[in-house]
Amino acid sequence: MLEALSQSFVTIFTFSHIVWLVTGVLAGLSIGVLPGLGGIVGMSILLPVIYGMEPDIAFALLVGMVAVIPTSDTFPSVLMGIPGSAASQATIMDGYPMAKRGEATRALSAAFTASLMGGLVGAVTLSLVIPIAKPLILAFGSPELFMLTVLGLSMVGILAGKRPIRGLLAACLGLVIGAIGAAPAAAEYRFTFGTEYMMDGIPLVVVGLGLFAFPEIIDLLIKGKAISEKTTIGRGWVKGVKDALAHKLLVLRCSFIGVIIGFLPGLGGSVVDWIAYGHVVQITKDKPQFGKGDIRGVIAPESANNAKEGGGLIPTLLFGIPGSGSMAVFLGGMLILGIQPGPSMVTEHLDLVYTSVWSLALANIVGAALCVILARPIAQLTKVRYAYIAPFMILIITLACYQATQTWGDLIALLVMGILGWIMKQFGWPRPAALIGYVLAANLETYLFISAQRFGWTWLWRPGVLVIGAIIVISLILGLRKTAAIDKAAQKSEAKQ
Amino acid sequence: MAKKLVFLLTLLVVAGGSLSGMAKAVDFSGETVTWIIPYRVGGGSDVWSRVYSPYLSKYLPGEPTVVVKNMPGAASITGVNYFHRKAKPDGLTAVGSSGSTILHYLLGKKEVAYEFKDYNIVFGSPVDGITYIDPKFGVKSVADVKGLTEELVYASQGATSDDLVALLAYEMLGMKVKAVFGYKGRGAGRVAYEQGEASIDLQSVPAYVKNVLPLVEQGKAVPLFSYGVFDEQGNIVRDPIAPELPSFPEAYEMVHGKKPSGPAWEAWKAFFTAAFGIQKCMWLPKGTPEDVVAAFRKAAQDTLADPEFEKSLQTTLGGARQMVGVSAEKAFNAVLNVPETDKQWLINWLKDRYEVVID
Repeated sequence: MLEALSQSFVTIFTFSHIVWLVTGVLAGLSIGVLPGLGGIVGMSILLPVIYGMEPDIAFALLVGMVAVIPTSDTFPSVLMGIPGSAASQATIMDGYPMAKRGEATRALSAAFTASLMGGLVGAVTLSLVIPIAKPLILAFGSPELFMLTVLGLSMVGILAGKRPIRGLLAACLGLVIGAIGAAPAAAEYRFTFGTEYMMDGIPLVVVGLGLFAFPEIIDLLIKGKAISEKTTIGRGWVKGVKDALAHKLLVLRCSFIGVIIGFLPGLGGSVVDWIAYGHVVQITKDKPQFGKGDIRGVIAPESANNAKEGGGLIPTLLFGIPGSGSMAVFLGGMLILGIQPGPSMVTEHLDLVYTSVWSLALANIVGAALCVILARPIAQLTKVRYAYIAPFMILIITLACYQATQTWGDLIALLVMGILGWIMKQFGWPRPAALIGYVLAANLETYLFISAQRFGWTWLWRPGVLVIGAIIVISLILGLRKTAAIDKAAQKSEAKQ
Repeated sequence: MAKKLVFLLTLLVVAGGSLSGMAKAVDFSGETVTWIIPYRVGGGSDVWSRVYSPYLSKYLPGEPTVVVKNMPGAASITGVNYFHRKAKPDGLTAVGSSGSTILHYLLGKKEVAYEFKDYNIVFGSPVDGITYIDPKFGVKSVADVKGLTEELVYASQGATSDDLVALLAYEMLGMKVKAVFGYKGRGAGRVAYEQGEASIDLQSVPAYVKNVLPLVEQGKAVPLFSYGVFDEQGNIVRDPIAPELPSFPEAYEMVHGKKPSGPAWEAWKAFFTAAFGIQKCMWLPKGTPEDVVAAFRKAAQDTLADPEFEKSLQTTLGGARQMVGVSAEKAFNAVLNVPETDKQWLINWLKDRYEVVID
């Protein structure tokens, strides 16, 4: 094992590998920076290129690309409040307020440092877990996956802050939006109104950009100023690195959350950032400023979303079952290269497995370094009057949505979701709750349906289910207490004034 | 039918006369052939088309660029409908079909606008599957399922997916199988089997070789039967890749002591053809000139003769015997000629057994 590990370390530093790896990193960085474009788009663009390549070089390219998307997608999330990809939605919560406060550089450099560390944890875990991956994956049956989905959904209560009822209702709205299209477990279509477009549901990118980007652009235009309310954006990049290092235990915990969620096939990576964010909100003891620009709210999701990719590679390589949308495309890439994924990867293609590990690690380093260099100049954008930026942003998010299915339906859906998001923002309804509901709708239904069909009621007594159930209850109690405490503090300070 | 006959006759004349001479008249120099794949990038059909496209490009007269255009949506209906409405019969637009394309066509879903009777098949690729069972039931071969009284569990994607063929096969063998729906693909089904959530499973032959054979060797799975492949005459026979396993028709005979017949069998054949027998096909639109069709078929034939392609066929496509031109047409007839009453039988079966209503 060690021999193979060092062997592939030497391989990865050969000229052709480095060139392709860096090509992949550059592609990933550009795709991440563009709002709405994520790993699936990146994979789809690169896939036709790899035909006829040597497998290890193609792996360097693809893994290099997918590894850094959650690094660079932080730019639009922090600077504009627009999710760069599904992986950085939670980063908006605190990153964007920091940018408004003129601390964009600090937020970005903390995010990149956290991303780098998270990515490395992901790579290390990938290399260590491979020998014991199989029993771990097999331990999570449909009932356990259902409970994990519920755990994700329970974050809604924590994120909703002072108004848990609104959070719950917004999450329900999200569940309804997620139910549009083909039913996951029956041969039925819902709410399609006879259109072909709705048969596949509303794409994630449309919901994400509609709920977050559209309202932000409108409001910024109404204000008619620059994003940053201060004229300086601060040097702050050393401070950001220090922030991330000061919270290294948080980084480590969130990285493990990321690895685990990425590792479990069928959960999908789209909520990993929210779960990490929920986690940090829950456990923080001192007076937190979450939602108003707390650096920990940036560090947590960013370390988790990079670590996720390392976890996601495991089931893809060893079982041929992709953990996320981009991994599904990667799987196709492996087949094009003539590699059948499966348990035999460890015996027949161990070199490729370790090429992935090293590519992941190296790409994270190169990607984070490039992003840190770019952070200061790009952060200047927040000083520009928004009216000059808005047309470009509208163009980019429209294009990003249109690539989802390349039909008119995408644009109409964007408009509808955008107006919905704007109304929610105006009246103080938590949009993250709606998004989480939407993302988890299909899993929630599928796994509940399978559990009930297969096991009747007995699945409720499976040990894994009980353990995760206990975690959910504890997390809810902790979360509600926290909210109550924040409420009290808020009342106190109001009373003082 | 008359049209078809004329077409076949012409083809015979072409084949017997000067095939190369006819093909020479067709020239795609400097052109781009767009091959619509109604599935996402990286899916099975996408991989299939990308293995084929560079060779088609090489062997089509004039060496045109062959571009794969993914147009996923509505279980492939969107892309094939687009082809049906927009493709001109000039050989510059083709479409790839797969199991669900034809399943929805057979079931008569109302969204389906396309009509395979009108198109010209270039070639088709079979994908065989193998069903295996948990050894705890004491079943050593498919003949033993006769005495099997326990209920088995099958992790399925849905009653109107390719799994339909498996579910009907189990029913025809008299097995009690409970289908649990909602799994995302056969990979998830295999994990469910290994977790013990399912006790009977189906994998495509390449996935079986990689992932299930080790289980068989460890005594954790017993293979029952393969679904089978078409021979030159259009009969369903044993898969040469897994010659030790009976094909489904043989399995039926082993269990019931007679050859399969009746509406269930006729319907099964049609759906087997769609999901396994000739799962992925390349088509040219209605009214494409015969010399263009012939040029495409010749390019497919030349592709198969290419030793480089042979390698990819083995590693990526599972190594099954590909069918070009007339032999593909013959195999596909099982889909086109399924009697309306047998189709209706199946639709009723779906409704009674799984409460699935086709609209």
